[in-house]
Amino acid sequence: MNPDVATTTKRTAPAGGDFGYSNARIRGMRSRLLRRDFLDTLIEGTDMKKLVQELADTEYGPDLEEALIMGLSAGTVDIALKNNMVRTFQKVLGFLNDEAAMLVTTLLGRWDIFNIKTVLRAKQMGLKHEEFVEGLLPVGSLGPVDLEALSSQPDIKAVVDTIVTWGLPFAGAVREGHAAFLQSGQLAELELALDRYYTEWAASRLKRRGVNARIARDVLQVQVDISNLVMTFRLQKEDVGSIDASRFFLEGGAVVTADLYDELVKMSDIDEVLNRLRGTRYGKVLDDVAMLFLEVNSISVFERALEDLLTRRILGLAKGDPLGVGVAISYLWAKQNEVTNLRIIVKGKAVGMPIDRVRKELILV
Amino acid sequence: MIDKRRARWVVGTTFLVMMLIPAVAFAAEEVAGEWQSYVAKAIGAGIAMAVSALAAGYAQAKIGSAGAGTLAERPEAAIWIIVLQALPEIIVLLGFVAAVLIVNMPVTPV
Repeated sequence: MNPDVATTTKRTAPAGGDFGYSNARIRGMRSRLLRRDFLDTLIEGTDMKKLVQELADTEYGPDLEEALIMGLSAGTVDIALKNNMVRTFQKVLGFLNDEAAMLVTTLLGRWDIFNIKTVLRAKQMGLKHEEFVEGLLPVGSLGPVDLEALSSQPDIKAVVDTIVTWGLPFAGAVREGHAAFLQSGQLAELELALDRYYTEWAASRLKRRGVNARIARDVLQVQVDISNLVMTFRLQKEDVGSIDASRFFLEGGAVVTADLYDELVKMSDIDEVLNRLRGTRYGKVLDDVAMLFLEVNSISVFERALEDLLTRRILGLAKGDPLGVGVAISYLWAKQNEVTNLRIIVKGKAVGMPIDRVRKELILV
Repeated sequence: MIDKRRARWVVGTTFLVMMLIPAVAFAAEEVAGEWQSYVAKAIGAGIAMAVSALAAGYAQAKIGSAGAGTLAERPEAAIWIIVLQALPEIIVLLGFVAAVLIVNMPVTPV
């Protein structure tokens, strides 16, 4: 999230707009992503030891070797997977050219918000450090040490004070959100302030000419649309009635404008919302899971469908322009997806989850 | 993504130069005296050689840069990268052949 991240990190990357080197390198790295049949082998493996043996021959080998010094458990394998992801992200950011690095760090800024929100939620719920720290992913401008320091703070106020003291770009938003949180007692106020800050900050950074900025802007706009749609579904499900729903609207989406959002939240039920969204880019995916929603009665169904749509769009960027930033964005998403899937398999193996259930939980393999 | 304006400029300039080389040579044949003809042919051959060499250099720079990126992650692809890196040399060879043909065109003074 720090705008100077590209200059503070030692970079040997090509300057200007040379995408040849970085994209060829990323394509090489992409060829080492795990295939579906390999994930199947891991899922069907008998135990954790077998899983680690299989993974040791892949990209994750060195990280596993390092982490397993602490003993073989789901936790240590999880640490290895996370370390590998962080290392890979840093490596890619290190050799991207200046333009691509700026665009990618802007999109990765959402992980800073995600991490801070995780810490804040954990503090409100009174969780211990080790209970939530594995959920943090230091792939934004906040590194592992920063997140360790934040998560070690005793309460929400201390977290906010630390962020303000460090003078992070979102310190102002955190301070304002904290004041609102103190008044209402709702952590959502603080989270909303962070989300709003990020979308405005990212939109202003991506407001530049060129095809690459347009690709990154499109990704951001879909993310904002998804946030607004998920909020719409939540408000519909909770049937909050008198609450001022427009407060939760985030500016900067492509399809869900302020007017459409107001229209959607005023509708009588989710069916009507789905009807209204028909014909937009989100209509089909939401329609496809409408029956499943009726079965399980959880909006996570829609959330998952929209996230899958975003992931599919981003993965598709790699097939587009071979000399654009899409290749890097697509690879980083694919890597994140792979690590998430591996973590699901590891957790599933650790708690003895049935194979079919693990397969169902995996994201777009 | 290749900048469309730049791509248009490169294609336009290349087209212009390609049209210019034979035009210069034939103009020398048609209207000039013996020495003007030699000069014009030398200029035509020079342009053919220079443009093809610059084009090959540009292509090799791009291929080299991408090749270095590939080799950093997949050293086993080294042979392919060397082959690809050498391919644009053909452009210079073709430019050389064009230059030789231009220089060796018979001079027919008016």
